[in-house]
Amino acid sequence: MPERPRAYKTEGIILRRRNLGEADSIFTVLSPRQGKFDAIAKGVRKPRSRMRGHLEPLTRSRLLLARGRSLDVFTQAETITPYRAIRDDLERSATALYCAELADRFTIEHADNPGLYELMLAVLEALDLGAPPGPTARYFELQILSLMGYELQLDCCAACRGRLEPVETLLSPSAGGLVCERCRAKAGAGRLLGVRAIKVLRYARNVDIAAFGEVRIDAVLANELEVAMAGVVSHFLEREPRSRHFVEAVAALPGRPNALAPEIVRSDQGP
Amino acid sequence: MAEGAGGTPEPIGRLIDEFHRLPGIGPKSAQRLAYHILRVPERDALALAEAIGDVKRRIIFCSSCLNITESDPCSFCQDQRRDRTIICVVEQPLDILAIERSGSFRGLYHVLHGLLNPMDGVGPEDLHIRELVERVRAGEVTEIIMATNPSLEGEATAMYVQRLLAPAGVRVTRLARGLPSGADLEYADDITLARALEGRQEL
Ligand SMILES: [Zn+2]
Ligand SMILES: [Zn+2]
Repeated sequence: MPERPRAYKTEGIILRRRNLGEADSIFTVLSPRQGKFDAIAKGVRKPRSRMRGHLEPLTRSRLLLARGRSLDVFTQAETITPYRAIRDDLERSATALYCAELADRFTIEHADNPGLYELMLAVLEALDLGAPPGPTARYFELQILSLMGYELQLDCCAACRGRLEPVETLLSPSAGGLVCERCRAKAGAGRLLGVRAIKVLRYARNVDIAAFGEVRIDAVLANELEVAMAGVVSHFLEREPRSRHFVEAVAALPGRPNALAPEIVRSDQGP
Repeated sequence: MAEGAGGTPEPIGRLIDEFHRLPGIGPKSAQRLAYHILRVPERDALALAEAIGDVKRRIIFCSSCLNITESDPCSFCQDQRRDRTIICVVEQPLDILAIERSGSFRGLYHVLHGLLNPMDGVGPEDLHIRELVERVRAGEVTEIIMATNPSLEGEATAMYVQRLLAPAGVRVTRLARGLPSGADLEYADDITLARALEGRQEL
C-alpha cells in the first residue's frame, strides 16, 4: 500500500456537524477530490477555538488535516464562502440542509466525485444569490440522481423504450423514469406527472442552475414536482431524508416575516 | 475494552458500560472510573449513587419556563421583581446560568431543551416551542429574546420561532453578533454576553 502523507490540504463544503464529548465535534466534509469524509475538530466548541466559525455546516472552507488513527483531524480551517444569505433565511437554510443531507446519504466515504462537489457548490451559490428554494431543490435531486447512476429516463418509456405521448404520464422510480400507458400496469408505484411538470424536469436535466432559476413555476406545479421527486429520492435512498420534515415544517409557517396570519391570536387582542 | 469479555466480573463490566455512555467519557476513562469506584469506601460510592437518584427524583421541569427546578414554578418564574413582559429563550438550562452571571437581564426565561437539527431529525415538535407559543398567547409578553447559539442550528431555531410568533405581534429580537459564529453560549464570557444582550436586534 502506498504511504499516505501525514498532513494534507483540501477545500471542502461542511455538510454536517456532530458534537463529541465536551468540546470536540465531528464534521462531515464534501471535497472535490476525496469525496465525502468525516474528520474531528478537537476543542472546536471552546470559546477561544480559532477554527470554530470556519467549520459551520454549509460553509465552504480551506482545510488542513492530519491523518489520525481512525478519523483525520482538522489542524486549520479558513472560510472561503460563508453563504451568509442562506443562513439568514429559513427557507434557504432548510433547502440547503436538505441538499447537504442528500449529498451525505447518497455517497460513501472517500469515493471521488468531482461532479457532485460542483453541483453542491452551484446549489449553494445559487441559493446564496436568491434562487427560489423549491425549484433549486428539484434541480439538485435530478442532478444528484444522474451523478449517482440513477438517471431518470424522461425521453421515452423506461420499460419498453416506446414513444411517450404528451399526456399525463407515470413517473415510476422502480422502472427508472417515465412509463407509457401500456406499460403502466406492470411498472411499480409512482406518481402521475402532468405535461408541464415533465417539461420542467427535462429542462432541469439539460441546463445549468442559473438558467433553471429563470423558469416560472407556480405553486401547483411546484407541489406536483416536489411530491413526485420526493418519491423518487426516497426510493433510491431506501429511506426518507430526515431534513425533508423540516422543509415541510418551514413551508407550513405563517407567511413571510412580520406577515399577519390567523394561526396565533393573543387573548388580549381579541378576535 | 480488551479485558472486558474475558476476566472482568459482570458488575464492573456493567458499571464501565454505564460510565461509557456519559458525554466525554471514552472506554479508557470509563474503565478508570469503574475501578476507582471499586476502591473508594462504600459510603462514598453510595453517596454518589444517592446524588444521582436525587437528581432524577427531585429535579423537575418548571411548568412555565421548563427550567430545571426543585419546586414548580421555578425561582425565576416566582420572583415578582423580574420583568414579566420579556422572555429570553435559551437552548438549555446551563445557558440561564451564563446569562444570570452577566447580570444584564431581569426578565423571565424559556428553555427549549435543544435546537432544531434537521439532519439529526430534531424538529419543532421535539423542542418546547409549543409551550412558548402558549406563554405569548397568554398576553403579558411584549418581547422575546432568542439567545440561541450563533450556529446554523441556533440561527435556524431563532428564525423559526420568530416566524411562528410574528402573527402574535410580539417583538422578537436576537442577541447581537458579538458572539463568534458557532460559539456555545455556555462558554461565552460575561462581558461578551452582556454586550450581545444590550445590542440585540429585531429579527
Ligand atoms: Zn412502455
Ligand atoms: Zn420557571
